[in-house]
Amino acid sequence: MSIIKINNLEKQFPVGDGFFTALSDINIEVKKGEFAGLIGPSGSGKTTLLNIIGSLDTPTKGTAEVMGKSIAELSYKQSAGLRNRHIGFIFQTYNLLPVYTVFENVEFSLLLQKMSAVERKKAVMQALEWVGLTDKVDSKPSMLSGGECQRVAIARAMVKRPEIVLADEPTANLDSENSHHILRTMKKLNKELGVTFVFSTHDEKVMQYLDRIIALEDGKVLRDETQEEFAVRKNSQIYKTK
Amino acid sequence: MIAIKLAYKNLVGAGLRTWLNVSVLSFAFVLMIFYNGMIEGWNRQARNDTQDWEIGEGQYWEQSYDRYDPYTFQDAHKPVSEDIAAMIDRGELTPILVRQANMYPEGRMQSVLLKGVDPNQKILKLPTSDLNNVQNGYSAIIGRRMADDAGLKVGDKVLVRWRDKNGMFDAIDINIAAIFKTDVPSVENGQMYLDINVLQEMIGLPNQATLLVAGDNSSLSEIDGWNFKTTDFLLKEFDALIQSKKAGGMVMSGMLLLIALLAIFDTQVLSIFRRQKEIGTYIALGMTRSQVVGIFTVEGGAHSILAAIVGAAYGIPLFLWLDNIGLSFGSSSQDMGIAVADIIYPYYSIGMILSSLLLVVISATIVSYLPARKISKMRPTDALKGKLQ
Ligand SMILES: Nc1ncnc2c1ncn2[C@@H]1O[C@H](COP(=O)(O)OP(=O)(O)OP(=O)(O)O)[C@@H](O)[C@H]1O
Ligand SMILES: [Mg+2]
Repeated sequence: MSIIKINNLEKQFPVGDGFFTALSDINIEVKKGEFAGLIGPSGSGKTTLLNIIGSLDTPTKGTAEVMGKSIAELSYKQSAGLRNRHIGFIFQTYNLLPVYTVFENVEFSLLLQKMSAVERKKAVMQALEWVGLTDKVDSKPSMLSGGECQRVAIARAMVKRPEIVLADEPTANLDSENSHHILRTMKKLNKELGVTFVFSTHDEKVMQYLDRIIALEDGKVLRDETQEEFAVRKNSQIYKTK
Repeated sequence: MIAIKLAYKNLVGAGLRTWLNVSVLSFAFVLMIFYNGMIEGWNRQARNDTQDWEIGEGQYWEQSYDRYDPYTFQDAHKPVSEDIAAMIDRGELTPILVRQANMYPEGRMQSVLLKGVDPNQKILKLPTSDLNNVQNGYSAIIGRRMADDAGLKVGDKVLVRWRDKNGMFDAIDINIAAIFKTDVPSVENGQMYLDINVLQEMIGLPNQATLLVAGDNSSLSEIDGWNFKTTDFLLKEFDALIQSKKAGGMVMSGMLLLIALLAIFDTQVLSIFRRQKEIGTYIALGMTRSQVVGIFTVEGGAHSILAAIVGAAYGIPLFLWLDNIGLSFGSSSQDMGIAVADIIYPYYSIGMILSSLLLVVISATIVSYLPARKISKMRPTDALKGKLQ
């Protein structure tokens, strides 16, 4: 069952008098529970595609269906509801609210859902346990390390038990140890809760965790392969160049 | 609720800038209340004083009398009927006879209004009883400022010249029996109070009066041949002055409010510009753009709530203190020609405080909303990049 279904998608941005085509001819299906990543050079369209899947943007042509709903046809309110309940975002720059404590940052989306305080507390503590930050509930983001901030962001994305988590270069600002820690955490959540993850990344460390790797180039899908295919091709390339 | 909590955290988190805005706004707020309170306090005191000293519960004017037109004074008098005399005896009315005259203190000519009053009247605060214990015939009491202006002291004699009922000039030395102190300039400026019987005799108009002042126990009913003037009518000029003072005060606190509002507007514009990424994050977390507009509007508007709290923190003690000691305007204020007590006690009404509060809250919310509206035109992806403009 595919949770994300992208058909002949094209995305253009107005630039000056004309248009810049950031994505074209994109056809991708992502099944529930996948741990997939978009890779490709800078400017290849990874963020643009993630934004459309996250209903923060709409396609120019073609369709993007998320959980059976066409992104282009959602009202503001419906797309806000979709993001609030079903899609978690993780950003390269963490994007935590600086005036809120860790607890409050994680709690935020639940407040929009009008959940009771008791339930909220339970869910927040559970999410912080997943990322191993139960001892930092009352800290402000400014007091945390980058790795800790990103773990808070993961807890914030996970607390509402979303179907999909979209992570745009989540490790770009982290050192190797923190990157591995974060990826292991996300992989675990993916296995245990069946949450679908879609990454965008340049990071080799991330790629080795992905089950599926979709390579973009100049706004087009260059390759769409499994971890095994990817690894084999990599090895053979290394072999060839030797 | 989430907006309020967030607003509070963001405001307090913004530190100095917030407190700067809040202090200016609270200052506008406190000044607005203070100024209105002063004016209202003055208004109430001055109305009371003017009533006590001059106009009582209203006045009955002889039909041709017009206090604003001295040319009417010559003929504005008529006999006091038996009915009226009975009312005077019961303390419901007191008669005053008015006559234009000249006096010559130290040889200078100065016009003066002679007013004949009943030495035994109890309606006005004028110390008319001082006219009772005088031995030598023609005596008068005058106010202190009048005495200073004319250079007169108690016991001085001053030459007064007037026309009698036939228009014939007559002159006599009048003895200053007493000098009284009042906060109501209109009751003393250019005026001299004599026993009404003496004045009637001087002019040759026995038992006549120009106007009748009504006391507390007067029924204020119509009296044939006399025009009743209400206190509102008699205080008309004063009310107009109060209104203009109030408007002046509004302009002053309005300017201050405007400065505070501009500062909030500026803060809002800046914070919306600087916090694009945060705005994008709210949207990614599932807020609609109008909800984010709401957050920023509440946040800006909350300046006014903080201002009210801060204003109350220093305003209430200040007001209580002023209420105790009153505020002195010094003697210079006596030149205003209108009743000003030496010490004014401000008067604060709940309605005035609430409407000031409402004005501040609503205007702060509006200036916060105006820049926040821009958020609803932002594309969330641009906001997340934080790269607008
Ligand atoms: N709002 C926009 N207006 C115009 N062009 C845009 C806009 N957003 C993206 N682009 C262009 O679309 C292309 C794809 O951008 P995108 O951000 O998706 O790339 P990316 O693969 O995420 O790159 P990176 O790895 O650097 O994050 C880029 O060339 C970019 O300049
Ligand atoms: Mg990108």
